[in-house]
Amino acid sequence: MEALKEIERRPLFVSRSAKPVAATPGPVILFTAGGKRFAVQASEVEEIRDRDDRTAIRKLKGPEPIDFALHVGLGAGILERFVVLKPGEVSLGVTEVERMTILPKVVPLPGLFRGAERQWYRGLLVMENDVIPLVRTEYWRMAGASTRETGSGA
Amino acid sequence: MNDTTRFVTFPLGDERYALDSSQVKELLMPSRVYSFPHAMHSLEGVLIRRGTVIPVCDLRGAFGHGAERNLYVIARCNYAGRAETVAIPVSGDCELVPSEVTFVAGLLHTGGKTVPLLNLDQVMAHCIQPAIGLASEAQR
Repeated sequence: MEALKEIERRPLFVSRSAKPVAATPGPVILFTAGGKRFAVQASEVEEIRDRDDRTAIRKLKGPEPIDFALHVGLGAGILERFVVLKPGEVSLGVTEVERMTILPKVVPLPGLFRGAERQWYRGLLVMENDVIPLVRTEYWRMAGASTRETGSGA
Repeated sequence: MNDTTRFVTFPLGDERYALDSSQVKELLMPSRVYSFPHAMHSLEGVLIRRGTVIPVCDLRGAFGHGAERNLYVIARCNYAGRAETVAIPVSGDCELVPSEVTFVAGLLHTGGKTVPLLNLDQVMAHCIQPAIGLASEAQR
């Protein structure tokens, strides 16, 4: 353990590669899907509907829903709420919408994350003793458009 | 010429491995790993250390040793051309040990044999020395 202490005495240089970056100021909406928490910027959300609304609206050709949990690999989610993204053509099917809160600083994804998560998320929010991915709405709008073309929505 | 450097050795399961100490930033006691959905197999989540998000890479997939974790080795690495920081869970105490610089960069398993893989940069630096140095260097 002496050696361990020696390491601990050495000057430490904390990586700055993942320091917070500026984000568009504004509140975020926290939601859960597949048992995990996520956030979306409130300014990107048209409205939030519950399951019954969605059923009624869909008959009138409403926003194309995406099963958010399924899309990020958490398995088919329990879709109780639908977060409709602006301009209203795509909605994210989620389990629960928690609340709206102030947007903290967005931490970029560390560089070791080089998979599809770079498309799914703008970054990470470190808040409330948790790390919450902030969804990249541009990607989800495209995914919704793709779903609409293939007819494989939730 | 001083060919001695220091290494941090650590256990992964039944085996011990070493990293050049210059790559090791610190050792952390086990702390909460925050997980979120992603598509990287070896990354299990992130640690938060002084406000910095550090990905946790479980090397069991690479080395096949399943074991409890007693410490995290926080180390620098190059990945896809960028300097990154990673937390490696290890299963026991770490030691800081001096050692001669080795010319072996790794071990190559081929045809049932283990062949040392040379670190050519180290070999060249050690073996190719001028018999007489430059005058400008001698004046320093």
